[in-house]
Amino acid sequence: MRAVDGVDLEIEPGRIFGLLGPNGAGKTTTLEMIEGLRRPDQGHITYGDHDLVRQPGVARERFGVQLQTSSFFELLRVDETIDLFASFYRHTLATDTLIERFELGEKRKAYVQTLSGGQRQRLAVAVALVNDPEVVFLDEPTAGLDPQARRNVWDSVRQLREEGRTVVLTTHYMDEAEALCDQLAVMDHGRVLDEGQPKELIERHMPAAFIEVSAEVPVGEDVELPGLQRVTREGPKTVLRTERLDETLGALAEWARAAGVPLTGLATRTATLEDVFLHLTGRSLRD
Amino acid sequence: MRQLLTVTGALLRTLVRNRQALFWTFFFPVMLMVVFGFLGNSNFKLNLLVSAPTQGPETKIVQAYEKIPYFKVQRASRQRAIHQVRIGQADAVLLLPPATTPPPWHATLVYNSANMQTAQQAVSAVTSAAAQINLAMTGQSPMLMVQPKAASGSRSSTYLDFLLPGVLALMAMQNSLFGVAGSLTRWKEKGVLRRFLATPLRPIQFLGGVVLYQLVFGILSAALIVAIAVVFLHATVVLPLLPLLVTVILGMAAFLAIGFVIAGFAKTEEASMPIINVVSFPMMFLSGVFFPVTTLPPFLRTIVHYLPLTYIVDGVRGLMSGQYAAWAPAVQGDIVALLVWFVLLAIVSTRTWRWE
Repeated sequence: MRAVDGVDLEIEPGRIFGLLGPNGAGKTTTLEMIEGLRRPDQGHITYGDHDLVRQPGVARERFGVQLQTSSFFELLRVDETIDLFASFYRHTLATDTLIERFELGEKRKAYVQTLSGGQRQRLAVAVALVNDPEVVFLDEPTAGLDPQARRNVWDSVRQLREEGRTVVLTTHYMDEAEALCDQLAVMDHGRVLDEGQPKELIERHMPAAFIEVSAEVPVGEDVELPGLQRVTREGPKTVLRTERLDETLGALAEWARAAGVPLTGLATRTATLEDVFLHLTGRSLRD
Repeated sequence: MRQLLTVTGALLRTLVRNRQALFWTFFFPVMLMVVFGFLGNSNFKLNLLVSAPTQGPETKIVQAYEKIPYFKVQRASRQRAIHQVRIGQADAVLLLPPATTPPPWHATLVYNSANMQTAQQAVSAVTSAAAQINLAMTGQSPMLMVQPKAASGSRSSTYLDFLLPGVLALMAMQNSLFGVAGSLTRWKEKGVLRRFLATPLRPIQFLGGVVLYQLVFGILSAALIVAIAVVFLHATVVLPLLPLLVTVILGMAAFLAIGFVIAGFAKTEEASMPIINVVSFPMMFLSGVFFPVTTLPPFLRTIVHYLPLTYIVDGVRGLMSGQYAAWAPAVQGDIVALLVWFVLLAIVSTRTWRWE
């Protein structure tokens, strides 16, 4: 079984790079090879002048890592945990600074086991920054967090970019990838399907818009809609995919007036990464 | 080395905070010593029933038995007394028939042979008492008096003195097995290990920190148990520190290596527990912790002789009872055997160990 197969990525410094894909796509394995946690069977990983396959120690010294399941010793206090990890590096950020920055001041003397999910996540990111890393790897940084905590994590990620650090993160949330990432690679079954800026990806694969109507529209029988690409039904709704939103919408409105069908619940939206993913893989992300 | 020590320090800190785990670490050994210590020290009395006429020379014989503190004498009818012995309510019954003829009078001692030890004690105690009573009643002066005396240098020992070294060996095994196999599989399962691997900390430094932590904890808890046994339970032991430390540390090292082997196999903490029990249970009961290995049947004794816990028990008990001098050949043998176990298991563990 190949968890990762022929992945070819170039990550630009100072940007937020996202690996997007469903569970089991090979995102974590890809990260672990770069982080020096796992040896690739073949291929190259270079960082500046360093060959990371030969010198995984460089990765461990200079990168900051937050693993998907970052756990620490449950009965160590927050500040002790940061100090412990700081003791492994030559160059470090001050524990106080990190505690303040990730709003862990109140929990400074609390045991790790008493932290909430969001606090644990903040501690994990704080520990990832303890060596003042040039590159920060965040594996599913918002998995299992409530919306408020997710926003907080997004803010800290953007702050990392503002400090000039490179951020590499994985996610299976489309909105997260779209809102946060400068550069994206869509992965599935261990391969990179496509990469680029979120907008580019959408335009390349989905230069379309969607019209949703809460009524049955007998397309092809009574109605001819210009620019229409595809019609799908989702429960009581009809979803029309079009490449010329204004013309399709106009024709739809005319038909509705003539046929006396009230267009309740009419909504339009442009394509999202979800649609790109569906298009690239033929399946939905949450499958 | 500095990094290794920080790991050890952090682990010791979490240990001190884990009150529940600490409690159970000490509760079990202390309980064992308290319960079995009392059992071993209780003043044993033989329940002796006597069926004899209430008048005549027989009453003198019964009174003579009543004066000996070893017996708890009660009178009962012949039938009732035999029934009591048969159902185990009394240890033996002495049947004295009416003295219608001149001496010697023939008494019968009926005992329950279900408990061989008590039966033997009853027979020898009652017959030797009979010999004394004979002398006393006939007024002869004895020709031979035997005074039992312990050889100088050997020490009187209670069951607690016997048990304490066993408990120390048992703790060395249990703490090392559960400490390594239990915690390492848990850390592996929860991703704690991977997080450490993603730092410049070398794997060997982390594992070294864990081992050092286990040794420090093992030595401190052994010292505490000895202190409790000596101060509160009045155990009398000798403590040749250096050979004791060497034996105990090597014993722990062997079991730490077994722990690493188990942690290499087991994917979860739950999966590691039954394996730990399979490894530790037979040794716990066979290796001489609670009773001497010599009481085992010969074929079993041969196997048990080579188990790591047996070597720890033998070395520690020999040293603490004063039976073995500090670096006596027997101690050296135990130490070498433990070293062999440790090296073999360490080699196996490097082959079975997995970081995930």
